[in-house]
Amino acid sequence: MSNEVVVKVRGVTKRFGDRVIFENISLDVHKSEVVAIIGPSGVGKSTFIRCINHLHSFDEGTIDVQGFRLVGGQSPSKAELQALHNSVGMVFQTFNLFPHLTVLDNIVLAPMQVKKQARQQAIDRAMHLLAMVGLQNRANTFPKRLSGGEQQRVAICRALAMEPEIMLFDEPTSMLDPELVGDVLEFIQRLARTGMTMVLVTHEMMFAKEVADTVVVMADHGIAEMGPAREVLESPRTERARSFLRRVLNPVGSPREPNLVANGGDDR
Amino acid sequence: MHVVILYLGVLLQGGMRDVELTVVSSILALMLGALGAIGRLYGGRIIGGAIYWYVELIRGLPPILQLFVLFFGLSQFGIDLNPLSAAIIWLVAYGAGYAVEVFRAGIMDVAEGQHEAATALGLDRKITMRKIIIPQAFVAMLPNLTTLIVLQLKNTTLLYLIGYADMMYQARLGADATAQPGPLYVVVAIEYLVLSAIISRIGSSMEKRAAAYR
Repeated sequence: MSNEVVVKVRGVTKRFGDRVIFENISLDVHKSEVVAIIGPSGVGKSTFIRCINHLHSFDEGTIDVQGFRLVGGQSPSKAELQALHNSVGMVFQTFNLFPHLTVLDNIVLAPMQVKKQARQQAIDRAMHLLAMVGLQNRANTFPKRLSGGEQQRVAICRALAMEPEIMLFDEPTSMLDPELVGDVLEFIQRLARTGMTMVLVTHEMMFAKEVADTVVVMADHGIAEMGPAREVLESPRTERARSFLRRVLNPVGSPREPNLVANGGDDR
Repeated sequence: MHVVILYLGVLLQGGMRDVELTVVSSILALMLGALGAIGRLYGGRIIGGAIYWYVELIRGLPPILQLFVLFFGLSQFGIDLNPLSAAIIWLVAYGAGYAVEVFRAGIMDVAEGQHEAATALGLDRKITMRKIIIPQAFVAMLPNLTTLIVLQLKNTTLLYLIGYADMMYQARLGADATAQPGPLYVVVAIEYLVLSAIISRIGSSMEKRAAAYR
């Protein structure tokens, strides 16, 4: 993690009609930093990271991504969006692989269409990525034939094939059976070690603690607490963050404090 | 039976002309229908609204009225279409109206996540449509497309009314000349059934192949 800020969020507010989803969010993401966003469901975590690559527009504030500026209430030009999408990759909760294309074609489509890479060059890169996750022998399979964990790893490869500077993950393991979560998280962790800048919405607290540099707790339409991962997860300062962590780390309600659970680490 | 043998040749020829018309008009109607559906969904108020009303017009007016307006009505204003041109124009216009709705339903059937994934990868709208949305929409709407093409085939029977020499036209001529309409119309019925069965078979085999990924 360096001092260079690659995503600078200032005073961002998002509404759907009259309903405020979140307001006045400000946040810096540095190069090679891993930021995990946690918080109760429905507070707009997924909506927020979709604002970073403009899958959702927002109403007020600014987001600077790698020198491009998104301004609340304004639509960026096509060329700006293109540049933004070239440098920001995204992985979705529901994988969103293209079901009618093989694994390989899912991965090479954007490099060929957007970056105008030759097919062979795109295939070489795709096979290299697939080999990293042990799926090179599934290249010619349709997504439906893969397990959820395999589909998500392919989806990560698809995003990486565009060689993004920043990766966004929207609850990448929420739809997976528990025994498949590990492979996906392991891949994300490896990616973090290569110095990839990442913003990650997750419910995996142990993973956030281990991989993230910074944890952001979203609650009540804003950021309740933000700081170094261990600090926030083990000894949250605000009551809002504390009560959220107590509930997720200790859902059945025995009277243990969150820091004890976080230190235990074996009973998620 | 004598009359059937006498007329079989021209009835088959007429049938071929129906097949040609069905194929040509279906291809054009589907292309226009796909564009129309995209315009209806993403074209904004003016283009979307115009296409909406076009579809209402095609759906709301009886086929025979549409055909007569085109062939007889326009000639009053000096636009004289020969039967073949009028036939093609009408079949394409009619088929396109229905195809818009079939494509629109198919496009709306594709999950929102597919749009999001394509956008996040930097694919522009045109490529997203061509490579991601339309291929998936196509599979979802194949059954309806098959129905539409059978409908186009059956619509060709109306064309004898403007003097297009299709199978129905030949059967009418034969019926008038020999006063034995029964056997001739039975032959026409069999031809139509065989042709629509062939269309259905092509449709269902395409469905099977296209659904390989599902």
